Amino acid sequence: MAIATPPPVSASSPLAIDATDLGVRYSLRFTKKTTLRQSLGQMFSRDAAEPFWALRNVSFDLVRGESLAVIGPNGAGKSTLLQVLAGIILPSEGSVEVSGHVSSLLTLGAGFDQELSGRENILLAGAFMGLDDGLVRQLVPSIVEYADLGQFIDAPLKTYSSGMRARLGFAIATSVDPDILLLDEVLATGDAEFREKSKARVIELVKAAKGIVLVTHDMVWVEEYCNRAILLEKGRVIVEGNPSEVVRTHMEHSAERKAERAARLGSAGL
Amino acid sequence: MSATSEAPAAFRHAAARPGPLRLIGEAIEDIRSRRRLVRYLVQADIKKKGADTFLGNLWWIMDPLLQMGVYVVFVSLILSVKTPDYPLFILSAILPWKWFSSSLSDAAGSVVSQEKLIKQIQFPKLVLPVAATTAGVVGFLFGLIPLAGIMLLYPHRISVFMLLVPAIALVQYVFTLGMALLVAAINVFFRDLGNVLRHVLRLWFYLSPALYAMSTLDASSTFQSNPVLRTVAHANPFAVLFESYRAVIYGKPEGPPHAPDFQSLVLLLAASVLLVAFSAIVFKRLEPTFAKVL
Repeated sequence: MAIATPPPVSASSPLAIDATDLGVRYSLRFTKKTTLRQSLGQMFSRDAAEPFWALRNVSFDLVRGESLAVIGPNGAGKSTLLQVLAGIILPSEGSVEVSGHVSSLLTLGAGFDQELSGRENILLAGAFMGLDDGLVRQLVPSIVEYADLGQFIDAPLKTYSSGMRARLGFAIATSVDPDILLLDEVLATGDAEFREKSKARVIELVKAAKGIVLVTHDMVWVEEYCNRAILLEKGRVIVEGNPSEVVRTHMEHSAERKAERAARLGSAGL
Repeated sequence: MSATSEAPAAFRHAAARPGPLRLIGEAIEDIRSRRRLVRYLVQADIKKKGADTFLGNLWWIMDPLLQMGVYVVFVSLILSVKTPDYPLFILSAILPWKWFSSSLSDAAGSVVSQEKLIKQIQFPKLVLPVAATTAGVVGFLFGLIPLAGIMLLYPHRISVFMLLVPAIALVQYVFTLGMALLVAAINVFFRDLGNVLRHVLRLWFYLSPALYAMSTLDASSTFQSNPVLRTVAHANPFAVLFESYRAVIYGKPEGPPHAPDFQSLVLLLAASVLLVAFSAIVFKRLEPTFAKVL
């Protein structure tokens, strides 16, 4: 099991990510899809919405070459943490310092335009990601080949099957070698064949990248490919350290929650 | 990627609020560094609008003409208002208004419609309304084709003053941009702004001297007896713009085109630049919360 674990990195190398006392607050007032009338009503009503902390007092760092797994139950703040690391959400308190280019493989193919062709979508996605246009143009042939689109590359995206769309999204997102790679359950897309192919590509990237933060529910993957793990629950770090230990704590906590739920249901007479 | 990226290589984010001048600086840098993204978005927008309809770009030429036809029938036949060369009179207002209203509605939806992307990738959101506003210019340029056609029917109204249209259009572009940034940001928080906007725009059009001349309003008894109302009507940006376009394209009912009121135009330009700065600050201030609220 431990064969693929990257070697431990010396403590002298600089930090790729340095998060200090990170907190992300959601004001529930605006997060609900509001209309003018509702919010005018709210403005004059006394009961101000409670702030909700998606993350609180989260501190950790990522040394170059390290692969960090973030695990935890649904709603623990894992995806929010990745969004903060990607620079998409600003912390409400604390700070995060990221040195190096970040590539986030969150959900794939988010920015695709249905009317544009595959080729045009590659250029547009590259521009959104802030990549140099010359570089993106160079990458087009390899993306087309990897996504296995053939002549469809010049057809509008609305003619694509969902599999083709997922393949194109994955191919674009993994076409560049970032310094820091953020992964959020990307391994669950596409058909079985493509899943295998994409898993191989991610392993490649994991080996090449200078730092990885991975959100997953795949505990085997955590123990196999990560050299550190964080367990998040309700926006707070519960444990941090050796992957197998953190996974064990996570399993114990999940089992407890399951038992609690069962007990509650039982006492409710169901 | 490291050497050739347009995105910053490293960042430090902390819970701090940058000042207004810093925000304006950031806004300018956002657009400057992502020129190509703006260009791609504009191209995509144009392509989509052309591809959506069967007649494609031909529709862009037909639409203002049809609208002109409606108003000509309504005003000169049904209300029998006798303004000479009325088709040209009204077209000189329809074209800039179509540009403004479509740019503003597109800009209002520009950020909200990229909801998924905003939650996935960090990029300057400012490019979205800027691209929407810029794409609107192309529609206006297409509108100049039917204008040229109609002008040929009234050769006595052709003059060198027409060359001032781009200068007036520039003032309008700056004003539109300022409004666009504002509605794009606010629409994130109040999704029904688009509906409100439709009604506001319609009212704005009829209250502006589009179907009638400003001089007609000034001559009315309501305006004679109410100087405040008169001042407000003259401060309307579209009163200045419509009157300027009409001056250089149509002229006066009894006379040929003449120079526009440069003083009002310069004032409007200055006010529009201030509006853009204000809107950019508001937009940049709200931008960090977009990913949370959407």
